[in-house]
Amino acid sequence: MRHFLLSTAAVIALSWAGAAQAQTTIQLQRFFGACEPDYGKVTDVSSAVGECGIITSLINKFEADNPDIDVNVTTVKWPGYDQLNAQLASGAAPDVVSIHYSAISDYQARGLIDSVDEILAAQGIAPTSFTEAARGGVTKEGQMFGLPFDNWTMLFHVNLNLMKEAGLVNPDGTPILPTSVDEFFAQGKQFKEKTGKPYLVQILANETAVYARMLYTFLQQQNSDFFADPTKIKLNTPEAKSVVEFMKRINDEGLTTLGLDYAAAVSAFAQGAGGIAVNGTWLIGDFVAQSQKSNTALAGGYTVYPVPQLFPGRDSTYADGHSWVLPHKDRTPEQTAAIGKLFKFLADNDFQWARTGHLPAVKAVFDTPEFKALPFRGNIAKIAETGRSLPGAVQRQFPIQAILSEELGAAINGDKSVDEALSSAESRINDLLANI
Amino acid sequence: MAESYRRSHWGHAVFVLPYLTIFALLLAFPLFWSVWLSLHKVDLFGPGRFVGLGNYARVLADPVFLQAFRNTVVFVALSVPTLVALGLFLALALNRTTRAASFLRGLFFSSSVLSVAIVTLIWRFVFIPGEGLMPLIFEQLGLQPINFLSTAGWSLFSVGVATVWWCIGLPMMLFLAALQQIPGDLYEAAALDNASPWRVLTRITLPSIARTVMLVTVIQIVMQFQLFGQAHLMTNGGPSGTSRPLVMYIYEVGFVRWDVGKGAAASELLFLIILCAAMVQYVVSTRKPEVAE
Repeated sequence: MRHFLLSTAAVIALSWAGAAQAQTTIQLQRFFGACEPDYGKVTDVSSAVGECGIITSLINKFEADNPDIDVNVTTVKWPGYDQLNAQLASGAAPDVVSIHYSAISDYQARGLIDSVDEILAAQGIAPTSFTEAARGGVTKEGQMFGLPFDNWTMLFHVNLNLMKEAGLVNPDGTPILPTSVDEFFAQGKQFKEKTGKPYLVQILANETAVYARMLYTFLQQQNSDFFADPTKIKLNTPEAKSVVEFMKRINDEGLTTLGLDYAAAVSAFAQGAGGIAVNGTWLIGDFVAQSQKSNTALAGGYTVYPVPQLFPGRDSTYADGHSWVLPHKDRTPEQTAAIGKLFKFLADNDFQWARTGHLPAVKAVFDTPEFKALPFRGNIAKIAETGRSLPGAVQRQFPIQAILSEELGAAINGDKSVDEALSSAESRINDLLANI
Repeated sequence: MAESYRRSHWGHAVFVLPYLTIFALLLAFPLFWSVWLSLHKVDLFGPGRFVGLGNYARVLADPVFLQAFRNTVVFVALSVPTLVALGLFLALALNRTTRAASFLRGLFFSSSVLSVAIVTLIWRFVFIPGEGLMPLIFEQLGLQPINFLSTAGWSLFSVGVATVWWCIGLPMMLFLAALQQIPGDLYEAAALDNASPWRVLTRITLPSIARTVMLVTVIQIVMQFQLFGQAHLMTNGGPSGTSRPLVMYIYEVGFVRWDVGKGAAASELLFLIILCAAMVQYVVSTRKPEVAE
């Protein structure tokens, strides 16, 4: 008996030691939501839908392919920077973190994240394999500080069923979208009269970003160089005024849903509450899935386009992107190698991620037949050329978005005059940037 | 007596050492550290530079801080009397030994055990346009729905409703405890004198629990000045900052904008406000009871 017990203990100890030696653990922290009940065990990435489903099954697949690597995933509430800041301040940062291109400069300027150049080189991933927009998003002072994963932007998600009812569909079945501010209001009015519903479904409650993204888009369309100096914004301009007045008029003329937060706006559009949802690339996959079901408001009647050029100047739309960065910390060579493998896997599977609706970061994906076969990608492919971010040296882009959205919201709801809101936004943002 | 006094050595302090250590580490040290931070230009990730009272000057000159201060004062001024009055009403109504009263006490207290995330989720379902409960009620009544969470004034009101629903349990329980301390013979004497219920309430019940009313008021003032989660999750301080409370201002400045020195200065100002309220609580709770006649 004693012999049996000793042997068993020895076997357990040896197997545990073997496992401990072989297993390399990576702590990965991400947003994109939690969907463990649906995708916790899924390794067939092609069957997954939506951001959460696809990233969860991608990580599952990576772990299945690499049994010696254990990826511990922590899901944080979007965008997760409070948690990351606390972790960085306390020296307990994870190994890999999802981050927006627009937030990288904050962390890079403070030396809080490491360059990924060596890791990418070790895996044979050439920086030139990424699109210019994606590479530009993560490149600071000549070095790449993250693995680019995608580019995203705000889009016009269109309910074609309602557009048909409003008589806003071309003979070829494509929607008639405005090409100027005047056309926008004419079509919006026509839509409202014919359907009794608002033209736009917008996120206007509990919201910190959409107004700012639309302002950036329409300022870019007017060639306004509002961040000529990355430490100062310039908003007391005729261009900014015309954008805010345009946005205010949309509310004043009743052409938009009011008071919806993000979740309510997504569900309202899916239920046919309005003609065009102004929302991100990440919803394409979900809305396509809705349109393929019968008995939904989008059944057989969904399409998507970039935000149209409404101001004379140039076709442009504000774009950002997601990437994976490495917080500055000590890592074992095994962990570094495991992260390299993970990055290679994510770059190799960028097509799967592009199924969410985001534009691929890896150039080659654009030319694959699978990508070309994805629904509506032809409609939005031009964003690869028209998508523009803020200058890379602009720091605190998230708080800036929040201030802008708050002040613009005040003007649009009539709580402040347009001039007052723009002046207030400018002084608040410049105070923020002057005190970094 | 003398023996026990002789035996009270300094060594006995070792028994309070665990508490003192935790108190010093988790309360006293952060308090003094935040004062130090408020005098420096500093972010979350390294040493800063001394700027004297510069951060305080920036906070007091910031219209967003002043707006948040105004919002918080309005919120406290409206939510605290509601919590006290409603808590007292519920305690009076449920101060009996029936099974139904016990059940209802548990029911009214049950909201207090929920986390702020759940509370705000529930009230989002009530207020959100389109599919919320309030829009449905307004629709049934043929009224124009109000966008409670995105209309100036209504957004702070909505946060207040959720807060009262969430926090009503504690005042009710404190009042119930106080009501059960009132000697029964006072009510017997009142019954013998044929006193009306109103007279019993105003001459016996309320005077007997006056100190509890003050205690509940002060506790609620201190608690409601620290409003954060409900506003952060329900309205994000909007629209136009009209439902942004002081703690949310501190959070945004310190953690979102990394301007920790300014955030610490704002939190010191909030600390002073809460300290005043806590001092009132201290004075009330240590005041000697009036000599019985």
